[in-house]
Amino acid sequence: MPDLRIDATVNGRAISRPAKPWQRLLDFLRDDLNLTGNKEGCGAGECGTCSVFLDGVLVKSCLVPVAKAQNARVETIESLGRAGALSVLQRAFHKAGASQCGYCIPGMVMAGTAALRANPLAGREEIRERLGGNICRCTGYQKILDAVELTRDVGNGTLPESALAEEEPADGRFIGANVRRLDAPSKVSGALKYAADMTMPGMLHVQVLRSPHPHARIVSIDTAGAQAMPGVAGVVMADDVPGIDGFGVFVNDQPVLARGKVRYVGDAIVAVAAEDELTARRALDHVTVVYDPLPAVFDPREAMRPGAPVIHDDAPDNITKHIPIRVGDVESGFARSDLIVTQTYSTQAIEHAYLEPEAGLGYVDPDGVVTIISPSQNITHHRHMLARILALPINRVRFIMSPVGGGFGGKEDMIYQGILALLAIKTGRPVRYVFTREESIIATAKRHPSRTTLKMGLTRDGRICAVEFRMISDGGAYGLSTEGVMRKAAILGAGPYNIANLRMDTYGVYTNNTPSGAFRSFGALQTQFATESHLDICAEKLGLDPFAIRRVNAMRDGAVTHTKQTLGSVSLMRALAAAEEAARWEAGPPSSRGATRHDLGGAGNRAPCTLGARFAAAEHAAQPEKVA
Amino acid sequence: MLYCDAYLTPRSLADAFTAMAEYRGRYRLVAGATDTLPWARAGRAGDVAIPALIDVSAIPELRERRVDATRVRIGAATPMQRFLDDGDLARAMPVMARCAVWFADDQIRAAATVGGNLVNASPAADATPPLLAHDAQVELACAREGKITRRRMALGDFVRGPGKTALEADEILLAIECAALPGYGAEFEKVGHRRSLVIATVCLAAVVRLDAAHAIADLRLAVGGVGPVPCRLHESENFLRGGAATLARLEEAAHMTVGLVQSRTRHDYRRDVLHGFVVRGLASALRRAGGASPPVGELEASHA
Repeated sequence: MPDLRIDATVNGRAISRPAKPWQRLLDFLRDDLNLTGNKEGCGAGECGTCSVFLDGVLVKSCLVPVAKAQNARVETIESLGRAGALSVLQRAFHKAGASQCGYCIPGMVMAGTAALRANPLAGREEIRERLGGNICRCTGYQKILDAVELTRDVGNGTLPESALAEEEPADGRFIGANVRRLDAPSKVSGALKYAADMTMPGMLHVQVLRSPHPHARIVSIDTAGAQAMPGVAGVVMADDVPGIDGFGVFVNDQPVLARGKVRYVGDAIVAVAAEDELTARRALDHVTVVYDPLPAVFDPREAMRPGAPVIHDDAPDNITKHIPIRVGDVESGFARSDLIVTQTYSTQAIEHAYLEPEAGLGYVDPDGVVTIISPSQNITHHRHMLARILALPINRVRFIMSPVGGGFGGKEDMIYQGILALLAIKTGRPVRYVFTREESIIATAKRHPSRTTLKMGLTRDGRICAVEFRMISDGGAYGLSTEGVMRKAAILGAGPYNIANLRMDTYGVYTNNTPSGAFRSFGALQTQFATESHLDICAEKLGLDPFAIRRVNAMRDGAVTHTKQTLGSVSLMRALAAAEEAARWEAGPPSSRGATRHDLGGAGNRAPCTLGARFAAAEHAAQPEKVA
Repeated sequence: MLYCDAYLTPRSLADAFTAMAEYRGRYRLVAGATDTLPWARAGRAGDVAIPALIDVSAIPELRERRVDATRVRIGAATPMQRFLDDGDLARAMPVMARCAVWFADDQIRAAATVGGNLVNASPAADATPPLLAHDAQVELACAREGKITRRRMALGDFVRGPGKTALEADEILLAIECAALPGYGAEFEKVGHRRSLVIATVCLAAVVRLDAAHAIADLRLAVGGVGPVPCRLHESENFLRGGAATLARLEEAAHMTVGLVQSRTRHDYRRDVLHGFVVRGLASALRRAGGASPPVGELEASHA
């Protein structure tokens, strides 16, 4: 069956060109028309980074077969404005600080534009509802909603156009002033190129075969079928690594491609570079891997037991990192306590869910320098690791950081840059690898799931006498940032409290689960969740107010932490006062409130989520007619 | 990813049947395509290669729209957004408008079709309960021995189980026909993990008409997400019909739904939600039907 021929008007220009029958409108716009302001965040209609107007109606172009664009009028973010000639809404996004990583922003600008086209007087709730199909991971949405409201108000004359201009700092000082982001125009216009938006002449496309087994020995890998496919330019596996194969933020325990065995579902084994993505994908079907499944372990407590399956030979106890901290005399502290409470807290794995899935390009430049372009959060460290992996001097390896479409710690790991380098070297051509959302979720690090057992002894007035703290974290198949996460968990986990007697142990443990790694707060979240929950429980048992029990134990200026850091200034007391006031807190132990509490609802509380603001707006608009 | 060798867009029913015959056993029908594309991805069907995708959304019979004071006929390829932005349709099918606002999001509703929602036959399909409340009929067509024939059946008979309908392999869902319910008060309740783009854990459609004395002249209730197929709540309807709309009676009607929950998971949660949805959904529908709405005031008082 021949290709389709698409005749359409795109951003005001007539186009007529062939398209594959299976292409989505998104592919056609990005790959064939180079309109890369339209991003792919999920490919499943969930995120809205690909929103475009089709005959004036906003749709998600990842869900539109390209054939539906036949004879249609398509408008993309590129049609709305460009740096120096931005639309009012784009200027409002700039003014309000609505763009951060920027990856969702073209879609948000499109959705905001559509919302105000549908109802130029839409209220905040209706705007929120009409933007419901677009996800942002950075802003918390408030500034995006502010920007759409600002656009509405400028549009209907409630605010002057000067409201879009940058405010001059009153006293000429920029510290503390609300300044606009320099990079916002490139983001609100969709002009900024993320790695997946970049192309190079002669570029090949990469796909990766991943393990379906959590733990298995690789008996054999046969790539002959893939190698023989027309359009395949190169296939690499562990044997192609010329240097010392291993990377990690603290321990270099992860090979570029599985070496001898796989350790989790999603472990990369073979990578293919081909003339197009479809060929590369199909080539993976022609790779045969014979596995010898090994017993796997999924619970870190089981992994710590003698006789558990060993995941890395150099860690026979499966312990990635143990951080012990000992302060004072815990036993005597407990002996002096009026109340001892023991409780276990657990947290789950969490995906960072940045809107930009991992993507990168690799090439060998004319001087023989292996170059990687990727949204890496740690390019200097990656450069050192890759030089060792490739057995190249450091001046033959270069990393270029592309705009990071959200990281949150999840882009610190060098999990695909090594693959790009191997394939660029092997094929002698530029290569690009773009993860799907599913691949990003399967293969990349998560927040450490944790299980913390906390024993705390306190006096009747709430003073902490002793704490015994044991956190076991599931580090998954590779070390990544586990060591650092365990350190921070131990350093910060006991909270900003004076604890004279402390026994703290944090363990990062290898399992056959998806690797855990860096994630905002880096271990402190898991341990502080335990500590803060525990203080509330102790407050209830002692009949104390939760704020009061924290104030009794709070570190003040000059406090020395359990890791012997002297804190010059401690803002905890101010933070508590601010939180207490903002929450309209009713003093008393946690159990003293109930039906009478007045700190729920009212100003400052978000009403439960609902939909239908547009009906209320319509009913309101219809009201005067009824009266007349 | 979804791959196809041919993407066909027949402009007539006859062309569609010709394409279906040519690619017999090797095609898939699409309309909005908003479910088909995400289906062919990792974790669900994975990469899928289909010889032909036949897009039925341009066939005139599937784009029909006839609305008068008593009847509605809409083509199966009617996008869900029409129930919101087509004023006549929204007035004739007030509960579909309420449903549509909870259906995916504005952008997906612009493409996703009501017929697609019905033929997918998800136990949690958003459009099915409101159409059951309308006593909707579906019209199916096939071409056999060179002749296009049509048949009709009640929507309740069409949806047979999770992913199962009465649609034969060579049939196309053409249109949906139902009574217009102008002047009815309506509400659609839905709960899931987020507001937009979510599959319902429970959804409920409620439509009510009051008589001059503000007694309940007619009401229809239908629920989705609590069993293999969406269904009407006949026992509750019969109990309430003709009576006064008091909170106590709504509570009693809601209590009758306890045994209905047959889902595979989260029974207790769904029972509680369904009970709450019947009371709150009816209270909202009653208010929109122009009732003096004592139930709403009572409801708010009881939860204060």
